[in-house]
This record gives sequence, structure tokens and C-alpha cells, in this order.
Amino acid sequence: MPVSKFLRVNTATREVKFEEVPEKYLILGGRALTSQLVFDEVPPTCNPLGPFNKLVIAPGMLSGTNAPSSGRMSVGGKSPLTGGIKEANAGGIASQKLANLGIKAIILEGKPQGNDWYLLKVTPAGAELIPANDLAGKGTYEVTAICRERYGPKVAVITIGPAGEMLLPAAGVTNNDSDGNSSRYAGRGGLGAVMGSKKIKAIVVDSPTTFDAPLKEAERFKAAARKFTQILQEHPVTSKGLPNYGTNVLMNIINEAGALPTRNFHFGRFERAAEVSGEKLAEIAVARGGKATHPCHPGCVMRCSNIYPLPNGKVCAPIEYESAWALGPNLEIDSLDVIGQLNYLCNDYGLDTIETGVTLGVLMEAGVIPFGDGEAAIKALEEVARGTPLGRIIGSGAATAGRVYGVTHVPVVKGQGLPAYDPRGCKGIGVTYATSPMGADHTAGYAVTANILKVGGYVDPHKPEGQVELSRDLQVATAFLDSTGFCLFVAFAVLDNPEGMPTICDLISAKYGISFTVDDALELGKRVLKAEREFNLKAGFTSADDRLPEFFKLEQLPPHNTVFDVRDEDLDQVFNF
Amino acid sequence: MRLEVRVFSGLEKYIPGARFGQAIEVERPEGTTLADLVDSLGIPRDQVFAALVNGRHAPLDRVLQPGDRVSLFPPVGGG
Repeated sequence: MPVSKFLRVNTATREVKFEEVPEKYLILGGRALTSQLVFDEVPPTCNPLGPFNKLVIAPGMLSGTNAPSSGRMSVGGKSPLTGGIKEANAGGIASQKLANLGIKAIILEGKPQGNDWYLLKVTPAGAELIPANDLAGKGTYEVTAICRERYGPKVAVITIGPAGEMLLPAAGVTNNDSDGNSSRYAGRGGLGAVMGSKKIKAIVVDSPTTFDAPLKEAERFKAAARKFTQILQEHPVTSKGLPNYGTNVLMNIINEAGALPTRNFHFGRFERAAEVSGEKLAEIAVARGGKATHPCHPGCVMRCSNIYPLPNGKVCAPIEYESAWALGPNLEIDSLDVIGQLNYLCNDYGLDTIETGVTLGVLMEAGVIPFGDGEAAIKALEEVARGTPLGRIIGSGAATAGRVYGVTHVPVVKGQGLPAYDPRGCKGIGVTYATSPMGADHTAGYAVTANILKVGGYVDPHKPEGQVELSRDLQVATAFLDSTGFCLFVAFAVLDNPEGMPTICDLISAKYGISFTVDDALELGKRVLKAEREFNLKAGFTSADDRLPEFFKLEQLPPHNTVFDVRDEDLDQVFNF
Repeated sequence: MRLEVRVFSGLEKYIPGARFGQAIEVERPEGTTLADLVDSLGIPRDQVFAALVNGRHAPLDRVLQPGDRVSLFPPVGGG
């Protein structure tokens, strides 16, 4: 059995070494590990693209085991988009492979001189840097295909596209699913640019096993994993809602609730939303020989992904709700084929789909591209790969695009674009957008559950009361879940089943041979948030950064004509623990 | 009174000719509740996980008003 190691790569000296994991990090994984390492090793005031920032890649605490849906990977560093700490979380097959190789985290550090690109190859035999100038400039799909041809058809390829090479702040880090689609993004916050600044084009991970990460108490673990599978299979959302139509099943309910940001956050409903919804996606995907349901990594029981064949012969797998919204209703685009093409280009160029969609919305607001014009949006996006001035503006995110074109209606917090729920129609998620150390991030405290989906109780989405408590509790639980390797979607079942959290804790106890309680889990979540907040404070953030753009307070959102009215002093109470 | 009903995410299979997201106009007597409407449409109540009336969550005993926009959903989630 492999001993747990850090794989530390000094990109300036090209030294690659394995290190024993210090005791304080031994049970950590995922977000808890990336955020703690960034907190401990990265000076908060450093230039995100300079020699002192680090890119940390970590499988979750339970990744690489047979716990269901536990193969998520965290990527962390200081964000070139927000200027604060960042953890971006991805599915795909790299996390399980890293965990099976006994790699607790990969740490890329330093800043290389010169213009040469490298590939980091990680196998059971060790790790090495290989010259990779031949991969530079290539899109992620091609890089992934080349690497799987060279290094084996089952390897995981963590890579960046041209956007990351150009150090654009909307660039993400991707890895592939089992079919080789390089579409599983740690998308948010520009970590692709951090990887680009280290001149690492790709990390190839080759592991013969997927589910054999070491367990201290194997029998106990197996029993708890079975029980957790059952919990997921009993909840209506994780057993039916997600597998049937994928995440884009949300399009219609968010639209009906009047919280679907439309035309750059001017309206809460898009009359053609059903045309780009999960139901429509499933129809088209199946008719064209694609799939309405698909797992992003082996061992997922929710299988919320899809395979969408495009008219041009390419395949976009998957089209997620957030991407469908950002590149659809947000731009008044009502064609899944156009959305799929934009999504595919984002994946290939190495861009975060949410940030790209929000940025295109700002460009449409500015009149650079007409709203609803899919062909113009595709043409503009293609400029990113060519590195034209407009392309670089698109790759720099919504806040930058707003400044360049004199737009004030710019939906960002801490410089990061808002996702697919208008905070005036879903105020709990507004609290999360405003206060998360990540910038506007729906996953950081997904209050849409209790506000709209009626999971984990009900809090009226239009009233300010109760939203701070809701967001706080969810942000704490999420900081923990993001550390486990579990997909955040297990929360739908865990929130409604009192046995959910104890079972997760049982899995952790059995894996590490410790006694880990629900209190420990919540304490870990709080510790993660405190470290992230502390990093941001030292980087220069104040309570003024924990606010939504003022237009959300001033402009009413149709159809309910609500404004965001959670008081500033209440927002400042989110982290009062 | 006239009501505007929309069904989603598989509930359309209970209503002949229905398509997700497309408004279905129905006539119901004054005093009709959400539960009455669901029953009369032939949708099993346990399949309705969330019901919105004019974009707001409503309990099954809600008495509907003329012109209400009613949206019915099975369990959905994502993000």
C-alpha cells in the first residue's frame, strides 16, 4: 500500500520530490487541505501569477475508495480573478487516481525562467517533468487525446488551454472523464492562469487502480459505504431528479420561481427557458445518440452528467445547468446547440463557463455583441484562442469587461461573476454570493435548496429573515463536504436524512482509524472558512468586499419586483463563530 | 375560472398531449384547491414535490384564484 505523500514540484529549479505528510495534514483532503496549505505557504499579498503563489491539487479525504460519488478533486491557490484565496472543485477521474497513488497533494511552486512548457507525469514508479513545448497552444481536448495516446488510454490528464497559457484570469484547470472528455473543470477563479504561470501545460496521472486507497478498518468502511449508497438511492433528488435530467433540470423551476437571471440580470424569467432546459436536453441528446445521464467519475450513483452531440459532429459532455444558463438565458440565447458550441469552446480554450457567460452578458450590455445573437457570441469567443484584444477581455472576466466598456450593471462579487440564481429572487444564495471567501459562488452555500427546491426545510426566498443563518450553516457544512471528496450533491440527501452526516463521519473514522464525529466535521468546516477568511483579510479584503453590487439593492427584479434587502450589518454576522 | 398550468420533468406523462413548460389552459370551479387541481389532472399527489403558484411555493390546500399560473414539479436538484 502506498504511503501518503506530498508531491512538490519546484517549477523554477525543475526539482520534483515526494515528501512525508506532516502530521497536521494527515487526515485532511480536498478543500481543507488546499486552503490550509495555501494559508500556510502562500503570502496573502503575493502576486497570484508570481513566484510566491502555489497551485495545490488535492483529492478528497475519501477519494479513491468505494464510497459512492467521492471522487472530487480540489484545486487551490491565490486567485488572479478575485485576489483572494480560491478552491475550485472538479469531478473527473484524476482525483481517484491520485489518491490510489498515495498522493495527498501536488504542490506546484516557484516561477520558471524562460518560455519552455513542461508536463508532469505521475505513475506508480514516481514523477518526472517532461518537455512539452509540442503541446503548447493546443486546446484541452487535443492535449488530452495526445496524452492518452502517448501514456495510456486510461490516464487522467489535468490540463489548461490557451486561456491558461495566456494567464487570463477566467482560465480554469480541467481534467477528463472516463471517455476522455476534458470537460471536468475546477473552473472558477482563474487557477488555470496560475498553472500557466508555472509553465505546466498538463499533469498526466497513471494509476492501475481506482478504488483501492488504503483503509484502516476495511469492514467497517464497507458497511458504511453501503449504507451511504442506500441513503443516496432513497432520496428523491439524488435517486431520481439528478439521474433523469441532470443538473439542467433546474432551468425550469428556477425560471418558474422568477429567479433565473435573464439578459445580464435584468429579468427573473426567460420565456424560452424550457427550450434550453434539462428536459429538452435529454430529448435531443437521446435522439442524436448521446446520453441523458452519465457519471463524471467511476462509482458515482447520481450520474448527473450528459453527452450532447453537437450538429458540427463534436460532442459536448456535459452541458451543466450553470453553463446552460450562463451561455443561454443570461444572453437571451434559446438554442441548446449554440449553448453546446459555446460550452465546447470554453472547455477547449480552458475557460470557466460561468465567468465567460457573465462576461459575454456584460459585453452584450455594452452593445459589443447583440443580446440573443448566438453566432456573434461564438465568433467573439473564438477570439480568445487567437489572443486578440477582445478575446483577452473575454478571458479576463466580467469585472474587467465592465471597466473596459464603461458598464456599471456588472454582476460580480470580489471580481467573480454571479452564477445562475438572481439574489433578488433567492436571497439566501445572495448572502452566500456576498460573503463567501471565494467570491460569488453558488456551491459555497447552496441556499437554493431551502429557498426554492424545498430540500433541508423551507426559507421564503423573498424575505430577508433567516437567510444569514441558512447561508452560514450551509457554508460550514459545504467547507466540510468539499474536503471529503464527496460531490456536493450528496447534500440533497444528507440535509433530509439524519443518518447522512453520521455515516459520512463513520466513513472518515474507518478510513483513518480515528474517532471522527459530526461535531468534528462542523469544526473542520469552520476551521476551513476561518483560514480562508484570514487569508483574504491579510490580502487586503474588508467587509466592503462582502457586498453585492448596488444595483441589486436599487433595481427591482421582475416578475416579483423584489430587491436584495438583507442588511449589511446582518451580512457581517455570517462568520460570527 | 381559468387557470394556466405547466408541468415539468416527467409529470407531463400523466396528461395526454402535454409538453414540459407549455401552458395548459384549464377551467375549474371557484374554490378549487391546488390538491383538487392535481387530482383532476390525474397526477398522483406523491409525484408532486414542489408546486408554485405565480412563482411562489404553495401548499396543496391553497385555494386557487382566477388566472393563477400553476407550475408542478417532481423532485429536482442540481447546481
